[in-house]
Amino acid sequence: MLLTSVIIILREVLEAALLLTILLAMSRFIGLNTRWFLLALALGGLGSIIYGNNLAAISNAFDGTGQELLNAGLHIFIYALLLITTSLMVINYYRPGCRLSLLKWCMLLAVMSSILREGAEIYIYLYTFHTQPALFGSVLKGALIGAGIGFSIGALLYYLLLALPERHTLLITCILLTIVAGGMCSQAVQLLIQIDWLPSQMPLWDTSALLREDSLVGQLLYALMSYEASPTPLEVFLYAMSLAVMALTLGFTHYVYRSHAHVPAVAH
Amino acid sequence: MRSIRFFLLITLLATIVLVNFVAALQGYRGSMSEAQRLFDQQMVATAQLLSTMPASQQSPEQLPVVVEHTGPMAFQVWTEKQALLMRSVNAPETPVSAFAEGYREVNFSGFRWRVFSHYAPQLPGWVLVAERVDLRYQLADRVILESVTPILIGIPVAGLLIWLILARGLGSLRRLAAALQEKRAEDLHPLPLDNPPEELLPVVSSTNALLARLQESFERERRFSADAAHELRTPISAIQVHAHNLERELTETSAAEKPDSLQKLQGSVERMAHLVEQMLDLYRTTPDHYPARFERVDLYALAREVIAEHYAGFACRDQQVELCGAPADLCGDRFALSILLKNLLRNANKYSPQGGQIEVAVNVLSERDEVELRVEDSGPGIAEAEYARVFERFYRVGGDRHVTAVEGCGLGLSIVQHIAQLHHANIRLGTSRFGHGLSVQVRFPLVNPVGENSVSESMQERATKNV
Amino acid sequence: MSKYPVACMGKFLLLILFACLSLGAARPEIKLEIRDHLFLPSELVVPANTKIKLIVYNRDPTPEEFESYELNREKVIMGGQKAIIFIGPLKPGEYPFFGEFNPKTAQGKIIAE
Repeated sequence: MLLTSVIIILREVLEAALLLTILLAMSRFIGLNTRWFLLALALGGLGSIIYGNNLAAISNAFDGTGQELLNAGLHIFIYALLLITTSLMVINYYRPGCRLSLLKWCMLLAVMSSILREGAEIYIYLYTFHTQPALFGSVLKGALIGAGIGFSIGALLYYLLLALPERHTLLITCILLTIVAGGMCSQAVQLLIQIDWLPSQMPLWDTSALLREDSLVGQLLYALMSYEASPTPLEVFLYAMSLAVMALTLGFTHYVYRSHAHVPAVAH
Repeated sequence: MRSIRFFLLITLLATIVLVNFVAALQGYRGSMSEAQRLFDQQMVATAQLLSTMPASQQSPEQLPVVVEHTGPMAFQVWTEKQALLMRSVNAPETPVSAFAEGYREVNFSGFRWRVFSHYAPQLPGWVLVAERVDLRYQLADRVILESVTPILIGIPVAGLLIWLILARGLGSLRRLAAALQEKRAEDLHPLPLDNPPEELLPVVSSTNALLARLQESFERERRFSADAAHELRTPISAIQVHAHNLERELTETSAAEKPDSLQKLQGSVERMAHLVEQMLDLYRTTPDHYPARFERVDLYALAREVIAEHYAGFACRDQQVELCGAPADLCGDRFALSILLKNLLRNANKYSPQGGQIEVAVNVLSERDEVELRVEDSGPGIAEAEYARVFERFYRVGGDRHVTAVEGCGLGLSIVQHIAQLHHANIRLGTSRFGHGLSVQVRFPLVNPVGENSVSESMQERATKNV
Repeated sequence: MSKYPVACMGKFLLLILFACLSLGAARPEIKLEIRDHLFLPSELVVPANTKIKLIVYNRDPTPEEFESYELNREKVIMGGQKAIIFIGPLKPGEYPFFGEFNPKTAQGKIIAE
């Protein structure tokens, strides 16, 4: 059971930890206090328990598509929040202190939603085995190992981001968040295909021979950018679209605010 | 990075966790596949054993023999013509796997099984041995887990150890910070860090070099001022003598009045001489350098002496000086204390108007173990906002446009402060009981922490003398 | 230059429209059961190049997660519940799936022919 447990927990923890880490490092970079983060952790943890306990009812809603709809909704919600968050970060770079409370709330909600989604799966998994003492020890140890690896990667990434030269921090964080956000969209698309809300097609390619999804690197890439060995054309198209929308929005914001920053206040 | 210790703890622990856990997983996987290989070998052995059993050689016309065997293993023995010869009770009557050499995983009897199909030429026929996947997996899992558990338990221990080791390793940094923090502004001694680690050596040595340079330049400045004042004394006394001679020559040769300019010259020289004396007193009484000789001093008696010395000054302005209080022994430097009294009295004398009142009080505040010296004058006083500034060197209230038009050099209270610091006394300024004047209150501790030894010695001396 | 993305968007909208229209269309239904952490049946034969509605009943009291890397599907099914998962169209071949919570025993595969 150990290996299974490690894989399940690692995948969920890694997905949440990447987002958490990048946002936390960004928050430190901008100079926000970390109270929002603790609040997001608490709310996300609480939410995932509520979600886990009501999963049966949620699954049965909307003709048995409730689970996918809610998860897809959460993913799209996180995408939107990340779009706002990164834009505000770019604006903040040129105008420090601009709309910090909105930024804080966006990050809080993004982290909370991420923990809610990933935490619920961990909760259900551990809850399933806590009544089976023969397996629970093994499951728990696997969970500890998975969580340990996931959080360690997160912690090292956090200090890596903080150690970056300041002029590159914003760019690298924005690129990372764009990739993560694209992954969110891709997962949402996947879920909508699963319930037939979006058409399913023949896969465009198959890279599973090159990199299996269940390998460690595959899991890492899945957590970062929702790596899919055999995506359908629609998935690829929407993934590219989500990346393009975010990149263009950030580029545009950057362009507008940089030109504003260069023109002194005389114009007003 | 907020704290080096926290950063190192987290990154080191994360690295250890990452490396150890991935290694543990790798080990687990290796052991697991080895365990599976052993289980498979066992299945092969079982299959070979079954193919030699006599029951296996029964004729196919007879009913298949059902062996009462339950547990993690199941088996079937089939003839070449696919008739069941023998099976365990937990195996179905249909073939559980294809008749082809090798391992397969199948579901039957409500479990998942790993089946080994073996062709036995001596039968001839097929022996199918099955083992429950969940049980053999759990068994291996339980055994291998024992080797993983210590790694998990080791992590918090490693965390605690790293935390303590970091505290030890960063100790010298913390001590350096504490030493820098505790350093008083005037303390220019080198940092007391013996054997600093290689990494801190440049910090400590450059800080110490900086402190030494500062110390040198302070010393130079002090020496220069003191030497300059000292060197000025001789020519000034010479000028005074020459001016006096000039005055005598002028008044003796001609009966004319003393010229106005000579009068002014004498006044200026007088002031200059005073300034030089004050500067000398100021540098002489700097607490860091003053070679204090603490002894038992009766402040009341000393005050009486100093008043008597300067009585002429009070008399010529018709001022009343009153000394009240009682004898008060304290431990102090007699010479310094007389300079303190002199400066306070001179200020009172200067700033009190013609015919004003001055009160000097010396009291023992026995409940606080302090001796209080109070000098109150009836001058214009000092505004409360200026209290802090009047102790600065060369600072005079209102600058040169002082209301009383009294001349002074602005060093008196600085000297008083130096001497008070020397005695660990504290000074408080206030409004005098005459309504508008200045009240200077100096409170000396009865037992001076610095001169304690010398006091007790001198007290003993005195005691023996009395006997 | 600007025509191409527009055409692309149009195509995409048509695709969605088509998808919504086709929602009601009948699809071959295939039933799968989870019992004692086993998939019953453990091998499903389905027509290739067709979209299939897979209905998974979890007869166990404990939750199970239906997962397949090859099919790109993942869904948690609580104890005693059923789940509907659309799969395909599939090229002929074998597509393994497993129950992620009990992957040693809950194994199965879809064979598209």
